[in-house]
Amino acid sequence: MTLLETFWAPEPDFGTPAVESVTGAPEANVTIDGRSVSVPVGTSVMRAAAEAGIEVPKLCATDSLGAFGSCRMCLVEVDGMRGTPASCTTPCVDGMVVATQTEQVTALRRNVMELYLSDHPADCAGCARGNCEMQSLATTVGAAEVRYGLGKNHGVSATYDASNPYFDFDQSACIVCSRCVRACSETQGTFALTVEGRGFDSKISPGGTDFFSSECVSCGACVQACPTSALQEKSVIELGMPTRSVDTTCAYCGVGCSFRAEVAGSGDDAQVVRMIPSKSGGANEGHSCVKGRFAYGYAAHKDRQLHPMVRDSIDDEWRRTTWEEAIAKAASGFQAIQADHGIGSIGGISSSRCTNEEVYVVQKLVRAAFGNNNIDTCARVCHSPTGYGLSQTFGTSAGTQDFQSVEEADVILLIGANPTDAHPVFASRMKRRLREGAQIIVADPRKIELVRSPHIEAAHHLPVLPGSNVAFVNAIAHVIVTEGLHDVDFIRERCENIDAYLEFIADQSNSPEATAAATGIAPEELRSAARLFATADNGAIYYGLGVTEHSQGSTMVMGMANLAMITGNLGREGVGVNPLRGQNNVQGSCDMGSFPHEFPGYRHVSRDDVRGIYEELWGKTLDPEPGLRIPNMFDSAIGGQFRGLYVQGEDIAQSDPNTTHVEAALRAMDLVVVQDLFLNETARYAHVFLPGTSFLEKDGTFTNAERRINRVRPVFAPKQGKDEWQITCDLAAAMGYEMDYESSAQIMDEIASTTPTFTGVSFASLDAAGSLQWPVNEAAPHGTPTMHIGEFVRGKGRLVETVYVPTTERSTRRYPLILTTGRILSQYNVGAQTRRTPNNTWHAEDVLEIHPADAEMRGISTGDLVQLASRVGTTTLRAEVSERIPAGVVYTTFHHPVTGANVVTTENSDWATNCPEYKVTAVQVGVANSMEASHEAAASGDLVDHQ
Amino acid sequence: MGNDIARQFAHLPHEEAVETIAAHIAKFWGPPMRATLVSLAERGDDSIDPLLADAAKRL
Repeated sequence: MTLLETFWAPEPDFGTPAVESVTGAPEANVTIDGRSVSVPVGTSVMRAAAEAGIEVPKLCATDSLGAFGSCRMCLVEVDGMRGTPASCTTPCVDGMVVATQTEQVTALRRNVMELYLSDHPADCAGCARGNCEMQSLATTVGAAEVRYGLGKNHGVSATYDASNPYFDFDQSACIVCSRCVRACSETQGTFALTVEGRGFDSKISPGGTDFFSSECVSCGACVQACPTSALQEKSVIELGMPTRSVDTTCAYCGVGCSFRAEVAGSGDDAQVVRMIPSKSGGANEGHSCVKGRFAYGYAAHKDRQLHPMVRDSIDDEWRRTTWEEAIAKAASGFQAIQADHGIGSIGGISSSRCTNEEVYVVQKLVRAAFGNNNIDTCARVCHSPTGYGLSQTFGTSAGTQDFQSVEEADVILLIGANPTDAHPVFASRMKRRLREGAQIIVADPRKIELVRSPHIEAAHHLPVLPGSNVAFVNAIAHVIVTEGLHDVDFIRERCENIDAYLEFIADQSNSPEATAAATGIAPEELRSAARLFATADNGAIYYGLGVTEHSQGSTMVMGMANLAMITGNLGREGVGVNPLRGQNNVQGSCDMGSFPHEFPGYRHVSRDDVRGIYEELWGKTLDPEPGLRIPNMFDSAIGGQFRGLYVQGEDIAQSDPNTTHVEAALRAMDLVVVQDLFLNETARYAHVFLPGTSFLEKDGTFTNAERRINRVRPVFAPKQGKDEWQITCDLAAAMGYEMDYESSAQIMDEIASTTPTFTGVSFASLDAAGSLQWPVNEAAPHGTPTMHIGEFVRGKGRLVETVYVPTTERSTRRYPLILTTGRILSQYNVGAQTRRTPNNTWHAEDVLEIHPADAEMRGISTGDLVQLASRVGTTTLRAEVSERIPAGVVYTTFHHPVTGANVVTTENSDWATNCPEYKVTAVQVGVANSMEASHEAAASGDLVDHQ
Repeated sequence: MGNDIARQFAHLPHEEAVETIAAHIAKFWGPPMRATLVSLAERGDDSIDPLLADAAKRL
């Protein structure tokens, strides 16, 4: 077990951001307090000093923010310069000689500190906790006494704001250094904080209200930036300062932020005090969101199950038992089913919330111990079209860039994604680039935050009607090709199927005018957006589930790949086709062979050479035929052929479409084994429950949306006594197939030895590098931040004729509206984690957004209970009348089981991958009288209408 | 689902469409599902798209 655990100490702070070192660019050689240091020209004196091991006192400076120069603590003397310049705002020039500890600057700092202390409470709790930079700095600069009276504004009349569930604001401890204000604007890009008043009356304010009522998104950047304890985590106030820390990776979205889990106490009493985003984290570079930084409490929630349980019937009560009995019951049950109904009558589902190592052993269990390929993963219901589409066009099932690439983008085409809610840390990067002058085209039915928010205004908002994405992307490409804006050289040199594609896309049927009825986009607006994208130096495409979760999700992914190819926007920084993955390890679970037709590394099961590798290593003859996908499992279960399921870490009864159908399938099975943190909705139909581990107990790796393999390190030992990979191995052993590993590191070694894109990956190499982006192999020993440089993985990029085939799910007289679904910032997917944290304070229930025109004709007002009915089911939730969505479209989230949004979504799915069409469901909305149970009504067939 | 696949390739010349559909199904569908499709096609089930029915003959 690799802990990479250290005694707690703050991360080093160099005071100002690093200046990028460019090969061949001039360096400045400076001498600071007699020490020589060489830094890129433009580096601040403060940072150069820090790099030379000299700490210049500072209060308003921190290396995550641009220099501000207000606190006057970092004054230095420079030979040949007049006065005492602030070292944070003074750039190094070659030959500069600096003194940081002269009698003059020491006296100045002491006096300045004395003034600060005069306005800082003598009984400051933060100082007592040892969490106040100013207190320690006062000692450093020798400010032992204060000759002035207590500051009248801050000491006496200061407010204490405890409204935020995760942190407090104690104005009396605030020194108005503006680090919080700058963190909110520069790092997060929300601009929720400001300085009110002038001079001595200056006060930090969340916009004239309290934090909870403000625009604050609770990312915590301000808390982290605060040099006093004015902004302080409630957990630190309650538990005190940490004593040790462990570097690990967030378990929420596909951004995959790196964190330091800071811990106090030991043994069973150990508790996470706070999560601090790592500055060295490749994905997040020191930033976080409200989920990653604060919403980790679910790991210790009272609902957490820590004991194996069994029952003979789903109508029985659960009975606690031993690991041995639970695993034996699961194993014997699966074996009995196979004996009676054949090898293919059972299967497994792996989870994108689990580590690569855990996922790898699940697919190995299915292929080697179950003896079939009935393994699928929850990526089936989110990004399976990404895998198919990018594989067909580029040759590999992954995004093309790293996140940092967006900093070079000039025009961003954002399609079907809402990063500020679903991928907030990446959204902050994107917003920073937009503030620098890049432009954004938003293609989304909703007016998401990136359409218009402080300092952001989209060049175009194209409210594409749900279901018409392919028509939309074809129309964009049509304009580019027919107006001669395509990159002829790139196409000729790097693509194939050129003539057929160009003829197809130039056809009038793909024009903005011809597709306008389907897309709902004014042709001239679309043409203008197409021209903007085509003429950008660097055009980058980012997309989310609003692309994939359609009946033509795979076609749309190929359409976007076409668009990137015809504009030459591939193979360098600032461009590319970039899927924003939903869960933390969607990429990894797909990489690890979780699909029923592929081994790890996306190699088809029919390939003799690949099968031979695993047959030799695993000592089993493997099935050369594809197995069942999740929807196929459900259909087969209802048909009576598929009778046993092992589900690790996915709540299919809540997350998969058409809940009634899913529940019928689960109910039809003889044995359902659920491995999870909680007794989730799926567990209602389970016979064996195996308790899982939270990310704070896992030892392994996650792979994020940029193919970055990050280490997940255990903060605690598994609370239920067993690693999840060990549970899977025990199940295999009980079925007569040994899977012996001493550690998860050994599992990764097996992955590396059998997967060409992972040959250079090991826990040791990851610990040394911090993280690595696959492919990591002999050709790319340090990983591959940008793919397809010079050549595509498949050789030539394949232009595909992406014919628009409308979905069969259409609005009718009975179901005249189209429902589309999405996420909100504070909740995560089915909410199993975030609902068990104070994040519920912001979003306690799912609501239905409905356009004022649609609401008025139905007599609906904000707050009304409404019934939402589709041809497969009905549910009840509260309405929010909003102009964020166009007329004819309604929108909701799916975070709460009580709402059960998937009761109404249908089994329509992507033609190539079976990814459900969550984004298009024909519905009707009407006023409801109560939160009546609707599952039963749907199950009875009363609401079924196959119009 | 088979009909959805057939609709995607309906724009291709008949022979190419049938080959492409058959190849896709052979790559992604397991034997039981393929067998069911072949059986339906052989029975002349009219719920099956004609292109899909032709593709089923090549599985």
